[in-house]
Formats: sequence, structure tokens, C-alpha cells
Amino acid sequence: MKMKLIAGVAASLALMAAVPAQAQEKAVRIGAIYPLSGALASTGSEIKAAVELAVDIINNPHPELEGIPLAAGSGLPALGGAKIEVVFGDSQGKPEVGLADAQRLIDQEKVVALTGAYQSAVTKTASRIAEQRGIPYVNGESSSPDLTERGYKWFFRTSPNDDTFVENMMQFLDGVKAVPTAKIAVVYENTDFGVNTYKAVEKFAKQYKREVVANIAYSAGSASVTAEVQKLAAAKPDVAIFASYTSDAMLFVRTMRESKYAPPVLLANDAGFIDSRFVQEVGPQVQGVLTRDVWGNDVAAAKAGLKKINDMYKAKTGKDLNGNNARSMQGVLVLADAINRAGSTDPESIRKALVATDLGEAQVAMPWAGVQFDAKGQNTQGSGLILELKGASYQTVWPEKYRTDKSLPTLPFAWK
Amino acid sequence: METTRKIDTASSGVRKWPVAAAAAAAIVMALVPLAVTDAFTLQVLLLAIMFGALGACWNLVGGFLGRISFGHSVFVGVGGYTTLLLLHHLKLTPLLGIPLGGLISAALAWLVGGPTLRLSGHYFAMATIALLQIGLLLLINWEWAGGAVGLEAPIGDAAWMLLFRSKVPYYWIAVGLAFLTFCATFFLVHSKTGFYWRAINGDEEASRSLGVPADRYKMLAFVASAGMTGVWGGFFAMYVGFIDPESMFNLTMSVQVVLVTILGGVGTLVGPWLGAAVLLPLSEGTRVLWGSSGMGLDLLVFGLAILLVTLFLPGGLVTLRRRRGSAGR
Amino acid sequence: MFEALSAGLFNGLIYAAVAVGLALIWGITDVINFAHGEFLMLGMYAAYWLYTLGHIDPTLSAPLVAVALAFVGFLTYALIIRRLQRGPAMAVILATFGLGLVLRQVAFIAFSPDYRSLPDTLVSGSVTVAGISLGRPQVVTGLIALVVVAALFVLVYRTRWGHALQAVAEDRKVAALVGISPDRVNAQVWMLGSAAVGLAGALLTTFFYVFPSVGTVFGLLAFVAVCMGGFGSLPGAFIAGILIGIIEAMTGYFVAPAMKTVSVFILFILVLWYRPRGLFGRW
Repeated sequence: MKMKLIAGVAASLALMAAVPAQAQEKAVRIGAIYPLSGALASTGSEIKAAVELAVDIINNPHPELEGIPLAAGSGLPALGGAKIEVVFGDSQGKPEVGLADAQRLIDQEKVVALTGAYQSAVTKTASRIAEQRGIPYVNGESSSPDLTERGYKWFFRTSPNDDTFVENMMQFLDGVKAVPTAKIAVVYENTDFGVNTYKAVEKFAKQYKREVVANIAYSAGSASVTAEVQKLAAAKPDVAIFASYTSDAMLFVRTMRESKYAPPVLLANDAGFIDSRFVQEVGPQVQGVLTRDVWGNDVAAAKAGLKKINDMYKAKTGKDLNGNNARSMQGVLVLADAINRAGSTDPESIRKALVATDLGEAQVAMPWAGVQFDAKGQNTQGSGLILELKGASYQTVWPEKYRTDKSLPTLPFAWK
Repeated sequence: METTRKIDTASSGVRKWPVAAAAAAAIVMALVPLAVTDAFTLQVLLLAIMFGALGACWNLVGGFLGRISFGHSVFVGVGGYTTLLLLHHLKLTPLLGIPLGGLISAALAWLVGGPTLRLSGHYFAMATIALLQIGLLLLINWEWAGGAVGLEAPIGDAAWMLLFRSKVPYYWIAVGLAFLTFCATFFLVHSKTGFYWRAINGDEEASRSLGVPADRYKMLAFVASAGMTGVWGGFFAMYVGFIDPESMFNLTMSVQVVLVTILGGVGTLVGPWLGAAVLLPLSEGTRVLWGSSGMGLDLLVFGLAILLVTLFLPGGLVTLRRRRGSAGR
Repeated sequence: MFEALSAGLFNGLIYAAVAVGLALIWGITDVINFAHGEFLMLGMYAAYWLYTLGHIDPTLSAPLVAVALAFVGFLTYALIIRRLQRGPAMAVILATFGLGLVLRQVAFIAFSPDYRSLPDTLVSGSVTVAGISLGRPQVVTGLIALVVVAALFVLVYRTRWGHALQAVAEDRKVAALVGISPDRVNAQVWMLGSAAVGLAGALLTTFFYVFPSVGTVFGLLAFVAVCMGGFGSLPGAFIAGILIGIIEAMTGYFVAPAMKTVSVFILFILVLWYRPRGLFGRW
């Protein structure tokens, strides 16, 4: 009996140690930490597909994607055609699991760089490990401004952060003449993402001469949001800004509709509102909702290369790219480009190459001016778009240069 | 009140060898980093040690006193936040901050213990969950303590601030703390205090009628358990380097502490450590092997494992030894 | 303010609906079913698929779902609970926890983590009374919950069979002595309790989204409702559920929505401190 016990303990330890560090020749390994299970699993799996798409673009010849670095050839030319290999870690949406994964990817899987982790809290712990170990970390999609305020040397973020995004919102609102936009209500989930959105709105509202009339924080994953909606309605805002993930977004839509309340301008800060599931499930009811995003399918359609990338993603997953996963894809592309320019897998060389990154508009798979990192590791050339839901997908309404449908935006917002 | 002189029935016959065995185990564990260098394995070992210790602390209330607490993480959270807030705002070293975290947790237990310990079984369990949730929700809304965004410890190399670049020193601290935890639980259980606890657990009414100051000893168990858990909370906060209300006041962690102890054998000294030694590598191992597929297979295996062990070993892993008929304890 | 109150009332009815099945199982068989939330989840998925594939509206398929869940409850009792009832009390807790985890993960693998919602059901839309607009699904669910709880109340407290249940709850051995089979009663209670939560789940799909972890959203509040109402008291769980809904709504209205849930827990703790057996608890 005792032997059974010892055997059991040994087996469990062996199980864990048995994770092999695959030995593959000529592959440059990157670690990617995302929530592949838990509440955000649907977003995580979409991002995983987008990252795999980036790997495909790099590793296989895609001459049709001109301008994108590394697309034309196979693998990384400066490293003898070595292929990029991404090893995924499931953060389960928790910071301490992200921490464990970062350590595992660095120590056991011997990755030369890390990317991830969608949620800012997980990105914080995972990038902390990278910073302690001197491993480059390229974050493609977390928007919390504090991530680049930590004085880290090894952390780089290709995505714009919430400050930029909220400022984009204000700039868009400046251009809205059909309805007043002076009073803003913010409805946000009580997490890093939501709180940072609120803080940014507070900051920029003042700058752009608007007033915040309601500050409504709620617990993510609530059973009911009627109290929140009633509070929102009572505040009578001109603009309601939402920072919610998919499930709460769907619940809010439903509840507002049932309460027969429609804010004149319904503006979302990305996240749940651009999730394909949201669009599919409640899209028809919430036509006219506006959201900040970084990717618009109509913008993609305009740029030949981007359209092809979207087609490839659609062929793979049956869905269109959206701001969440397109950014993750871009992050990996930037990282691979830096490794290539470094010409080696030495972390310090990769870091220097990242610092020197200077990609132009034609070289990024996003509607950005390019990628260039400032001293804090933040890409200064990125920006957001404002989209409106029309039909089955979102169309761009701002900036002006990307707006194709001149009838948009349709304001005020009303339920269908 | 104090009806007799020290009732020495327990301590005179107490064998000291378990303490020596624990010391030996601690030394072996401390030597592991010399052979194993990869940080992930060390993390699994550290988590196993930590959960074993948390289970041992929990056991004071859950096992020996017989009150199941599902909200013990509230003390982890209080300890962790105290430590990091003192570090953040007062630049106070965690060497002082962690014990202070334990003290504040103990104080909290003392404050709520009175009315809470009067509750029986199921009600007590639910009340502890409520305490945990209150802690969680208050911290989320408390800006000064970081709110939902959380707090980060600075990165640095300052041993007296318990900031290390490598995780190995934390591992050694964990081993040391674990040994202390074991000793504390060992001596408490084998003293008059433990004797009274078992009496109260057996039949509270009867023990009261025999002169056992039940309320005082129930409070002692609760406060001691909370204080020790708080210390570990402070340690965990320094180890991860980042805390937020979700991760510190975590119901799942609370339940895992209970699981680990029940799995190993509730009400035994060795039980929690055994349970943690099996459950943690299993949980991490399955996550690593199958988690990245995104299919959640790892959690499925974990759930099945729990089910199977409870069906076939309801007394916990400790009973594996007992089934041989050995009378030892 | 009346809008908030009425919304809170109906939310409370819904929490009560979910809690009642748990109260039954917990009260009579003294087992904390940690998988209760997952039973709810299964009920929701069943209703979802019956609608999507079979085009049966959830309000109509609810009884079917209840029967299906009764079967699940029976299996759970027969295969797991019965084996463990003789052992340490803790083992049962662990087992139901493991079961809940397994069910959740199986749902994850089988149905994917995507959030699903039903577009338009028989009861979609709003109900507007005296200027207050509420979702019709919630109102219908709340009213049905009322009926179900009333029916259960009559069943448990006013019928012979119900008295048998209470007898087993009070003292198994003595109940066995007078010819009531505790084993059979337990199985029946598990079936009934699971049926109740299955019904609640089916109705829930008319206004809430379905996904593998939906059980955790309602589960905790159900536990609080049962405990606050007092173990062994069905009306207690019901009233506690409504109370929770109202407190949530009032706090959200007068203080801030962010404080909704914490006030429920504070109230809960205060109730326990002043009435250690819950509002109406018998033991």
C-alpha cells in the first residue's frame, strides 16, 4: 500500500517532468501566452489562430503580401531560413498561471522571446518574468497604459494603449454634429481593462471639454445588470461609453433593449463588442453601435495585402479578423522581423533590433502609420479606428480617410 | 477557569521524531535547486509546499476543530495586501511586512471570530465564503490599495527587501516557512490546546460541560490559523510580484486548500502535505501537457482525478497506510 | 425607484428559482451539491439545443429539460453520493466539486466556450406596466418560479410523501425504523431538486447567455440564498432569494452598482451573526 502511495506521488511528479523540450533543428521558438480556457477562451482561441497565421506568413512564401517583411520568403533569411515556431501556454486567464507559463516557456521550452497575454493583469506578471530574465517581450494587444510605465527595458508594445484609443474617441466625437456629445457616461467592468478605460476617459474628457456624468462600475460576469442600466438611464448622458467583455456586452444589450433605453450615442471600447460571437448573437438587435477598434474589414478590403490576410484567416477559422487577433498577429510579425534583423537568437541582439524597429505604413498588416517604439517601449505610430455595426459587420466611420460609406454614422442610436 | 495544572498527558508522551523527519525533509527539499535548475519545476514544488502549508494552517480549524472554512483565502489576501501596501507606501521591508500581514490577518480573525464561530457546520462554511467575497469586493473598489488594477512590487536585487531576480531564494524561504508551519501545527496539536480542540470537535456540548473553555480555544484555532495563513499570503505576494483582488482573494484557491487537505487526509498532520504533493504536480502537469490545446483537457483530468480519489479513497491518501492495519498515527 | 424595485424583485425570483432545488437537496439529504451550478448549466444547454435543433421554445421544453435533469440527479446520487454517504462528510464535498469540474469541462469540449443566446423566443420583448419596462422573459420566469416553489412547498409540507422526506431529513435511522427507505427518499429528492434546477435553467435561456461556466454566475448566489434562508427551509430559500434580488437593486440604485454584490454578502453575514440558523432554519 505504501508503495502505491509512493508510486502515485512519483507518477505525478514524473508526469510534470515528462514534458519534453522538443528538440527541433533550425527553429526559432517564441512563447505565446493566452487564455485558452476559462471565460475568455473564445477570444484566446481566435488569437491563437491569428498567431498561427502570422507563423504561416513568415515560414511560407507569400509573394502576394508585398511589403510585409518576411512574407515573401520562407523563414528568417538572416538565420539561414530558420523557421519560427510558436509554443503556446494557456494562462487560464490568471496572472499566476501566466507567471508559471512564462517561466516554463523560457526554461523548458527555451523560447527566445515571449508574446501575449491579452489580459493586462496576466501580461504584467508574464512580462515581469521576462524582464527579470532578460528575455524580449512583445505585447501585441493589451491596452492598459501602466504596462509601459514600469521602466522596463525588455517590454515592447506594438498596440496603441487606452490613452490613444480614448483620445481617438474624443476626436471622433468632435466630428459628430447630428447629436450633442457633451455629457459622457462610462459603464465599465471593475477590472484593469475597465478601470483604465474610465481613467482615460476622465483625463481626455476634460481636455476635450466634455463632462463625465456617470461613472458606473460593475462586476464582470454578473447575473443581472438591470441596476446598472437603470443608473445609466437616470443620468441621461449624450454618449455612453462601454468597456465590457463579450458576455456582459450581450447582457447589457439585452437589458437595455428590454428596459427600452437607448443612449443617443452607444460607443464601445472594443473587447466584447467586436467579438465575433457578439456580432453573431446580438448583431441584428444592436445595429448602429459604435466601437473603437484597430482593424476594420472594409479598411482591410481596401488594402490588397490586408484583404488577402483576412481571406487566409477566414479560410482557416470561418470568421473575419478583428482588432483583438489582428493585433496579436501583427505583434508576432514585428517580433519575427526584429529577430531577423538581429541575425541571431541572442536576447540582447533581439532587444536592440526591437529598439531600432522602424516599419512604415506599407510594411504593417494594420491600418497604422507604422511601428516605432519610444523609450518606454510603446509604439507611437499606431492608432485606432471608430467603426459602426451595419449589417453583419463593422464599417469604418473614422478617421475620415478610411470612411467609405458616407451615410455613416447613423445617429442617434436606437434599437431595431 | 484554569481548572488544572498543565495536563501533560499529551506532551509527555509526544514523540519528537516527526519534527526530526520534517527537518530532514526540509533539508532535502532545500537541496533540490542544486540539482534542478529549471524555474518551472521549482515553481511547482514551491506551490506544492505552499499549498501543503496552507492546508496545514487550514487544518487547525477544519481538521482538528472540525469547522470547514471555504473562505480561508481572505487571510491570504489580507496578508498579501498588507505586505505589499507597506512596501509600496512606506518602503517597509517585507521581512517586517510579512509578519505584520500575519498579525493583521489574525486581528481580522479575532474581530469576526466571535459571532462567526458560534455558527455550526454549513453556516460557518458559507459565512467564511461571504467574508472572502466581502474582502474581494471591497479591495476591488479601494483605489488607494490599487483597486482592480492591482499592485506591483518593484523589480530589484535587494535581499533585505526580499526582492530577488531569481526565484530560487523564494523557494528556500518557502521551505523554511513550511518547516516552521509544520512545527507550529505539530506542537499545537500535541499540546493541551490540541487536546481541547479534539474534545470540542468530538462533542462541543459535552466538552463544555467538562470545563473546556470552548470559546477561547475555538478562537485560538481560528486566530492561529488566520495568522499563519496571512504570513503565507505575504510571502506569495512577494513571490508573484504582482497582486490584484482577483488573485489574492480567490475562491478557487480557497477551495483548492480544502481539497488538498481532504485529499491527503483531514485532521492529520501529514495529510495536507501529502495531498499537496500529489495534487499540485498533477494539476500543473496536466495543464502543461494538455492545456495548450485549448480543449481544457487538463482540467477535465483534474476533475476526474478528484472524483476517482474520493470514490475509492474517501479518507484521503493517508488512509492508504492505515488500510494495512498499522495503528500508527 | 419603483423601476429598480420591481427589477430587483424579479431578479430575486430568478435567484430563488435556482436556489430552491439546491435547498431541497441540501436540506433533506444534507449534501452540499457543489455541482448545482453545473446542473443549471446542463439544463440551459439542453434547452438551447432543443430550441436550435428541435425548434421547441424553452418555455415549452422546460418540463422536458426538468425530466432530463432529474435523470442526471438520479445518476449522481446512485453512482457517487450513495457510495460516499457512509464515509467522511468531506468526501462528498470533494466528489461533487470534482463532478462539477468534470461537467463544466465536458461542456467546454463538447460545446466550445462560445457564448450562445437564443434570439427570439415566445416570451421575448418587454412588459410595460405603469411606465416601468421590464424584460418579459424575466417576468415570465419569475412567475413560473413562484408557481414551482408553491408546488414544491405543498409537496414537501402537505403531503404524506413530503412528510417522509422531512422524516428522513430529521433522522435517517428512525425513519428507516418506521418503514421509510432513506435510500429511496434520497434518490427521489435528488431527482426532484435536479428537476427544479433544470426547469430554472431552461427558463433562464430566454434571457441569459449560455456557456460552460454559467453555473458559477448563479451558483454562489444560490448557495447564499439557501444558507441565509436557513437549511431545511424551502420558503426560507425562496424569501432569501427575493431578498437578495431586492438588496442588489436597492444598493445599485441608492449607492452604486459596484457595491451591489458586496452589500448582499454583508447582509448575509449580519443575518448569520444575529440569527445563527438563518432566517427560518430548523437545524
